[in-house]
Amino acid sequence: MIRLRSLITYGLLCIAAFVSVFPFFWMLIGTTNTSADIIRGKITFGGELATNIANFVAQVDVARVLFNSAYLAIATSVLTLLVSSLAGYGFEMFRSKFRERIFAGLLLMLSVPFAALMIPLFVMMARAGLINTYAAIMLPGIASIFIIFYFRQSTKAFPHELRDAAKIDGLKEWQIFLHIYLPVMRSTYAAATIIVFMANWNNYLWPLIVLQTNEMKTITLVISSLASAYYPDFGVVMVGTVLATLPTLIVFFLLQRLFVQGMLGSVK
Amino acid sequence: MSGLELRDIRKSYGSHQVIRGVDLDIKAGAFVVFVGPSGCGKSTLLRMIAGLEEISGGDLLIGGTRMNDVDASKRGIAMVFQSYALYPHLTVRENMGFALKYAGTPKAEIDKQVNDAAQVLGLGALMDRRPKDLSGGQRQRVAIGRAIVRHPQVFLFDEPLSNLDAELRVNMRIEIARLHKELGSTIIYVTHDQVEAMTLADQIVVLRDGVIEQTGSPLTLYDDPDNQFVAGFLGSPKMNFVAATVTAEGLQLAEFGGQVIPMPPISSAPAVGTNVTVGLRPELFKRGGPAAFEVTVEIVEHLGGETYAHARQGAGAVLTIATDDGRSLRTGDTVTVHFDPARALIFDTNGDRLR
Ligand SMILES: Nc1ncnc2c1ncn2[C@@H]1O[C@H](COP(=O)(O)OP(=O)(O)OP(=O)(O)O)[C@@H](O)[C@H]1O
Ligand SMILES: [Mg+2]
Repeated sequence: MIRLRSLITYGLLCIAAFVSVFPFFWMLIGTTNTSADIIRGKITFGGELATNIANFVAQVDVARVLFNSAYLAIATSVLTLLVSSLAGYGFEMFRSKFRERIFAGLLLMLSVPFAALMIPLFVMMARAGLINTYAAIMLPGIASIFIIFYFRQSTKAFPHELRDAAKIDGLKEWQIFLHIYLPVMRSTYAAATIIVFMANWNNYLWPLIVLQTNEMKTITLVISSLASAYYPDFGVVMVGTVLATLPTLIVFFLLQRLFVQGMLGSVK
Repeated sequence: MSGLELRDIRKSYGSHQVIRGVDLDIKAGAFVVFVGPSGCGKSTLLRMIAGLEEISGGDLLIGGTRMNDVDASKRGIAMVFQSYALYPHLTVRENMGFALKYAGTPKAEIDKQVNDAAQVLGLGALMDRRPKDLSGGQRQRVAIGRAIVRHPQVFLFDEPLSNLDAELRVNMRIEIARLHKELGSTIIYVTHDQVEAMTLADQIVVLRDGVIEQTGSPLTLYDDPDNQFVAGFLGSPKMNFVAATVTAEGLQLAEFGGQVIPMPPISSAPAVGTNVTVGLRPELFKRGGPAAFEVTVEIVEHLGGETYAHARQGAGAVLTIATDDGRSLRTGDTVTVHFDPARALIFDTNGDRLR
């Protein structure tokens, strides 16, 4: 009985593992095959890696594109974490009559899909003269409702007495935030960093609309334009995809330990 | 060290009054304990003194200076919290030196202060650990150390020992008493542990619903309470309260077969027929004797040295009797007990003491 149960459990886990790992595997295989082989569904490694890389480098200004993506993702992430964690801290630390109502209002806004905001947002950015600038991409996301929510929930575990102790020790509110809250909540920050960095690095739709010149484009936009060419070379697309995946993997593995802690609740 | 004066101190949250006019003088160097039931406003009052809660009305003077609007860090106070509130990302040494560092004290001076405090508290070997690597008792010691380093005029403690186990609690209690002797600072200490209050305090302040019920030395409050609340609150096991009616011969105890005891010595005896409550400390009862009650034991608690028997007569009120020759007592036993009526306390129907 127990053996049957564990057989089923492991069977299901194997299927789930296969489903999540296969796309990565296929992506890696794709980098070594010709476009024609990929379309035919070949799932063994081929010998075209060097050619595909050469073609990719020939078609794309790799350094420029990576720099754009990194600059956007890092700057937006830092600003989002700063602004949204401040908001989460404020919502939890300060009592006010309207606190719960404002917060409920914010959560309600989460249900508005981005597609509905896109056109008004575009008009706003156009009026402000921000089309084809990175500011247009960063500004709408900095106050992220989800991250504010996440920080507020995590802050519930932050002992108020720490803030009291710091006040008696002579710290101003901003010093408490910077020197006590931030280090104590570092695993929450790590988890939020991963979420925000990935979201920004992979951001596609809004940059596609706002960025108009080639020298501004990010790697997701470049890959998509490669893939939507008249005769897309999927080997080259796969090389680009691998390149686009690496940074998020690196960030994840760097922060993995803290990320897990952050998900479990950061204050011990 | 400084004294404190609280003049008609009030606190409300919205329309809800939590502290409703507290007047209190605390002498420099005194050890004052706030006690009272949960929610009576002990922590709120302490936090108002600390500067962590705004004062809605009245004046707070520390060392003769009005402190209502002075920043918490400039009131000359230090606070020890129930949860210790040590900074988890800093070592013991950094925790203890934190306030001085922010005040811009030179590094050498900080080191000296921190080492001195560590010496007093026996923290030497723990200085480079983080709070999570310390036991509860050690954390509490560090929290006290952090307070000492600031050389405050007034120490504030909010239930500092309630997270510790019984044995440690006794040790820390003795240590706090010793510190008070050594440092000579004024201490205000919140607890709802009877024993802590009785043993540590020079002055106990009993609070209820945001007002002071009575204040005085531990033994004064124990022997001579102003009202039934204070009498019932201090002392473990609790004082017995027995309903009685005033008659020409003395006090008639309806629940004890209508037995009459002589009127305790009070200056103005109430009119015949008045209903009153008689307060009897459990340790007042002696076995046997003249004018004795006969009661049946329902529950016996053997503590080793002492025995508490919960006994009653028929369906009457349960009396708690504390005795040191009760080892042979068993549930269901019938015993006779008596007490010295002169030591009974009398309260009117409002709970006020008749003296
Ligand atoms: N921020 C607040 N807003 C509204 N009411 C509050 C607030 N803080 C405390 N109170 C109320 O004030 C009253 C006194 O609280 P306080 O914490 O001082 O009680 P306490 O005597 O310390 O109780 P305990 O023994 O349980 O610690 C309680 O009724 C509490 O609900
Ligand atoms: Mg309290």
